[in-house]
Amino acid sequence: MKSTKSPSVSFRFPPSSIRAMGLLLRGFLNKLFGSANFCRRNRSPCCRRTFNRDVEAEEFHDASTLCLSSYYSVFVVRLAIMVMLAILIGMLTLLTWHFTRIYTRSSLNTLAYGLRFELLQRPLLRMWNILNSTVEITTAQVKLSEYVIRKYSRPVNQAQQVELYEVMRDVTWALFASRRALNAITINYRNGFVQAFHRDHRSNNTYYIYSDLVNYSISESFHTDMLSSRQGWNDQSIHSNTSAIWYREPLDPATGEKIGKARAIPPDQLINIAGISQVPDGAASWHVAVSKYTDSPLLSAALPVWDSSNESIVAVVGVTTALYSVGQLMKELVEFHSGHIYLTSQEGWLLATSTNTPLLMNSTSGPKLMMAVDSEDYVIRSGAEWLQKEYGSKFPSNHEVHIENARLGHQLYYIDSFFLNLKRLPMVGAIILPRKYVMGKVDERAVKTLVVLISASVCILVVGCICIFVLTNGVSKEMKLRAELISHLDARRKAEASSNYKSQFLANMSHELRTPMAAVIGLLDILICDDCLTNEQYANVTQIRKCSTALLRLLNNILDLSKVESGKLVLEETEFDLGRELEGLVDMFSVQCINHNVEIILDLSDDMPKLVQGDSGRVVQIFANLISNSIKFTTSGHIILRGWCENPNPVISTSKSSISPKNSWPAQKMKLKLHGSHQKRSLKKENKMVLRFEVDDTGCGIETSKWESVFESFEQADPSTTRLHGGTGLGLCIVRTLVNKMGGEIKVVKKNGPGTLMQLYLNLSTPADIDGAGKYCQFKFEEHKLTMLLASNGRMGRLIMAQWLQKNGVYTYEASEWNELTQTLQELFRARYVHSPQTEFSETDEMNTQGISISAVIIIIDIGLLDLSTDIWKEQLSYLDNHCCRAKFAWILNHDTSNTVKAELRRRGHLLMVNRPLYKAKIIQILEAVMKDRSLELQRYATALRSTAVEENLSECHEIDALHSCVASSDDSDKSEQDDTSFISRFCSPETRNDHYVKASSFQNGTPNGHCVELAQVNSEENVCNMKNTGPTRLNEQHSIFTCPKERDTACTRTFMREQNSLEGLRILLAEDTPVLQRVATIMLEKLGAQVVAVGDGLQAVDALKFVFHSNELMNECPSEDHDNSEIIHSKALSLLPYDLILMDCQMPKMDGYEATKAIRKSEIGTGFHIPIVALTAHAMSCDEAKCLEVGMDAYLTKPIDRQLMVSTILSLTNRTVA
Amino acid sequence: MDGLVIQLQRQLVDYSTSLYKEGFLDDQFKQLQQLQDESNPDFVVEVVCLFFEDSERLLSELSKTLSQQNVDFKKVDAHVHQLKGSSSSIGAQRVQRVCIAFRNYCEEQNNEGCLKSLQLVKHEFSLVKTKLEAMFKLEKQVLAAGGSIPMH
Repeated sequence: MKSTKSPSVSFRFPPSSIRAMGLLLRGFLNKLFGSANFCRRNRSPCCRRTFNRDVEAEEFHDASTLCLSSYYSVFVVRLAIMVMLAILIGMLTLLTWHFTRIYTRSSLNTLAYGLRFELLQRPLLRMWNILNSTVEITTAQVKLSEYVIRKYSRPVNQAQQVELYEVMRDVTWALFASRRALNAITINYRNGFVQAFHRDHRSNNTYYIYSDLVNYSISESFHTDMLSSRQGWNDQSIHSNTSAIWYREPLDPATGEKIGKARAIPPDQLINIAGISQVPDGAASWHVAVSKYTDSPLLSAALPVWDSSNESIVAVVGVTTALYSVGQLMKELVEFHSGHIYLTSQEGWLLATSTNTPLLMNSTSGPKLMMAVDSEDYVIRSGAEWLQKEYGSKFPSNHEVHIENARLGHQLYYIDSFFLNLKRLPMVGAIILPRKYVMGKVDERAVKTLVVLISASVCILVVGCICIFVLTNGVSKEMKLRAELISHLDARRKAEASSNYKSQFLANMSHELRTPMAAVIGLLDILICDDCLTNEQYANVTQIRKCSTALLRLLNNILDLSKVESGKLVLEETEFDLGRELEGLVDMFSVQCINHNVEIILDLSDDMPKLVQGDSGRVVQIFANLISNSIKFTTSGHIILRGWCENPNPVISTSKSSISPKNSWPAQKMKLKLHGSHQKRSLKKENKMVLRFEVDDTGCGIETSKWESVFESFEQADPSTTRLHGGTGLGLCIVRTLVNKMGGEIKVVKKNGPGTLMQLYLNLSTPADIDGAGKYCQFKFEEHKLTMLLASNGRMGRLIMAQWLQKNGVYTYEASEWNELTQTLQELFRARYVHSPQTEFSETDEMNTQGISISAVIIIIDIGLLDLSTDIWKEQLSYLDNHCCRAKFAWILNHDTSNTVKAELRRRGHLLMVNRPLYKAKIIQILEAVMKDRSLELQRYATALRSTAVEENLSECHEIDALHSCVASSDDSDKSEQDDTSFISRFCSPETRNDHYVKASSFQNGTPNGHCVELAQVNSEENVCNMKNTGPTRLNEQHSIFTCPKERDTACTRTFMREQNSLEGLRILLAEDTPVLQRVATIMLEKLGAQVVAVGDGLQAVDALKFVFHSNELMNECPSEDHDNSEIIHSKALSLLPYDLILMDCQMPKMDGYEATKAIRKSEIGTGFHIPIVALTAHAMSCDEAKCLEVGMDAYLTKPIDRQLMVSTILSLTNRTVA
Repeated sequence: MDGLVIQLQRQLVDYSTSLYKEGFLDDQFKQLQQLQDESNPDFVVEVVCLFFEDSERLLSELSKTLSQQNVDFKKVDAHVHQLKGSSSSIGAQRVQRVCIAFRNYCEEQNNEGCLKSLQLVKHEFSLVKTKLEAMFKLEKQVLAAGGSIPMH
């Protein structure tokens, strides 16, 4: 919970501070690794600050601190990885970009430089060519002129002169015609005559221009003048010639024929030719001229023509070439590159450009050259301006400039200039190339590459960050989970610990809790015993007693549960009679059921083992809880407790059947058929068997969805049940834990009709050594030919019972109410009379021979069938008396059946009475009593005069309860069968059996079965009449002790003893060191009638017993002659044993209780005695109990002493060991 | 004469009720009284006297044991256990309670706590002793006046 919170805390910082925080955290982390303590100290406050709002956070503090620190480390690591990734990718990007750009650029630059150089070189070469050709032509013209003029030197007359001029004209024409690129050739003679050919390239006309010859004289003076003063020759002569008339005649460009009339033209229209003044030193001169006929500058070269003597210049030849072709070439060159080239003179006059813009400026004085900076072309102008601005007049000496990125307007250009050093005409060429052309792609690519690289790297960075985030997120999630897991484990450990503490606490509290409760209950009992209570008080006290018992039960439930939880529940492993325990249970609950108008039925199949091994108390607890639960929710109908054995060990059963034929009883298949569908479980262990049980009620039932949860603790099917029925919801939980502990399972099963059906099976072992452990029911019905009439208003119970009887070969009739009963009776006897009229009682001889074979009629009537509310029941009884002689009556009594009714029944001779509910053992008990009665009667008739009853024996046996007689006979059937008749005849007369059937049901639980067997045996042998005097009295005492000794928890509220002398005649040795306790216990026991000898420690206790064993040993030494003698000795020895029981405190000085018990048990070895030892301890834990039992003690009492419990414990122990 | 008896009896009842209310005694004492009858007319007094003697012996033993250099806690524990047992048997529950605490200290081997508990036990014991003696004195007076001791 907290761990999810921490990220939000850290992310709450504004994003700008995250980086700073990351750095901080990094430093922090370093410290953290440096010392964990520091981290803890440092982090705790920050966490505390974060979680201040949550009070509950405190306990998670540690976990969250851990978690937070781990989160921070994750965060920092994440950040670090991201930053590293970013740096890496950035560097990669930059490097890639840089290398691609630099190398491309440098190589391209080299290329571009070459290109530019090449581009510029070519127009320059062309220029050079033009100049060269011009010079050549000029030179050729000069040579020709010299030759011609030499030939006609010294012209003497005008004709000669004209002839010279004619020749010159022809020669010049030839030259001019051969060179079409020439613009003009001019020959300027010394005398001022000018001959010129001019070609107009635009109009493609060719003209011959000459001056008027009239003014010219062929004078020598002029020659001398010229020599004397060259200056005078120069411009003056031209100026003087200005007055001359110029003529122009058009010529056929191909042949030179005159095709038009010569026309006079103004001298200014004459092309500018080099005059003599331009070659003053006789060397060739160059200059750029302009002409009105061309819009491009003209290049003119002039050379003097010397006379033969080489002394004077006779003429000047000038050749003019248009620079137009250079411009043309440049245009062609750069057009493809969309660049510009221009040539200027050194002064900056524009000579040629690659554009079509005019190169000349029209001014008033005719066309003039323009400067490059004045060019109309924008690029050239701006380039020139840029150059001028950059370098001004300080051009490098060779005029070579290479600029790679000059910004002109909006574009970048390369500007390169070269210097061409021609004599007299130095020129500068400049090339302006748009950078875009050469580097355009590169620049564009560079930008694009950069963009692509940056975006790619950003993408990679983002993806990488996401990846890192995701990956580290996984890690941090795992960390979070781990932290959570740790905290959960912690919490669970704490919870377990606290639960453990709880169980421990409860278990430890058991003593503290139970003691006051026991005291309360004990005191209430005392109060109830008090005679001076008014009725109201009595009722109140009884109510309090009930409540206290309920509270104690609840307490015990909780303690049981906590015991199981804390693992301290130890199951006993003792033999016990399962059937009897369950019968006792049903007896107990039937009281409750009658109040609820619910029928409770015990239906155990006949193949149930008689004895099983296990913890009887816990088994009974299981069923007690289940049945009480059923009763709680069942308002009408019935509760059936069914039990059957799933798979009795085949080996044992076959061996048994072969050994004892009485066990080869027809197996009761009914249950197996009914529940045949149940899953069979085969058990490997030999004596283990699966006992299946069902508790079936007709209550409100449980919803299917709650079938599982009802077994949880504090869980109830319907929350409203607490209100209606009370209860804690612990009962079924305990049941399940107990059942599971016994290796079984319990579940709720679907049933037809209303109510709940709970099925469970227990895994109990049967004692292997006892042969009689086989069957639950061993009565031989078929031998007796019985007829039975069941008259009971409990439908279900009657049905089940009738079915069972039918199976066993008993003719069974049923009746559910009085009228039906009478009807059935009439039918029954009418039929029987026809069948065997008056045979039974009239003819005794016949009786002797046939009596047994004649079927007996037994009528079992529920007392509820009588109308007890009025006096009608007496009449009903009188009616039944009519049939008294023909049938035996047995009555089922209610618990609250009044004594008057009982007395009346007894008066009328109905002596067989059992309490509700009726179950098989009771039926068998009735049947056996009837059979014995019958045989007794037969005997009496047969031997009426032979013997009289042995009075003293009878009086002794007067209290023997019927059940035990029957148990005796069934247990020891081999023996008792043979002397059955005699035994019965002696002991059981109708007079002496007055009321023991009434009591039978009430004390069958508490009495160990061996006792009466012994009694019967002793009596049958007739010579031992001195039964121990304790025997009968103990039996007598049992009337008062209803509670089964093992059933301590389910205390029965009603039948508490009122007799004070329940321990009459017992001799008890009390070993207790505390004088106070010793005294209290002594008095307590003495008041109950026991003789008490108190000793102060274990050593004394051992000493007190020593001489007894010693004397016993002496006894054993004397040879026993026969069986009878040994019996006598045995009984004597018994009477010599000074104590019937020892109460032993566990903690005593000198020798504690455990040691003393061990010592006593040790000394008993070989003597065959077992003196019961009851532990007294202040500890109430079951482990102490286990310890006590381990050292050989028989029972266990907790201090302070609960009288009730003590008495019942003592009685159960002394009775058992009397034998 | 009768008035005196009744007055004494009432006084006795009130006194013993106060003993129960203040927690000096509990139900165990009542059980003791139940056990007293004609055959043992002085049973309660006898047992209580036994308790006094026994407890005094135990207390002196305890003081001796605890004053030793090396305290034998096992011995102390055994003594306290006995004291607890006897006090619970006569129903002197306040003594019993202090004994429980005493035993806890014993288990912890806490000398200081033991000594403190010893003082407490002694205190409680003397208290219950005086109370009981006073009660017996009252009973005697009742008997001397010819009345019977009322049972509660």
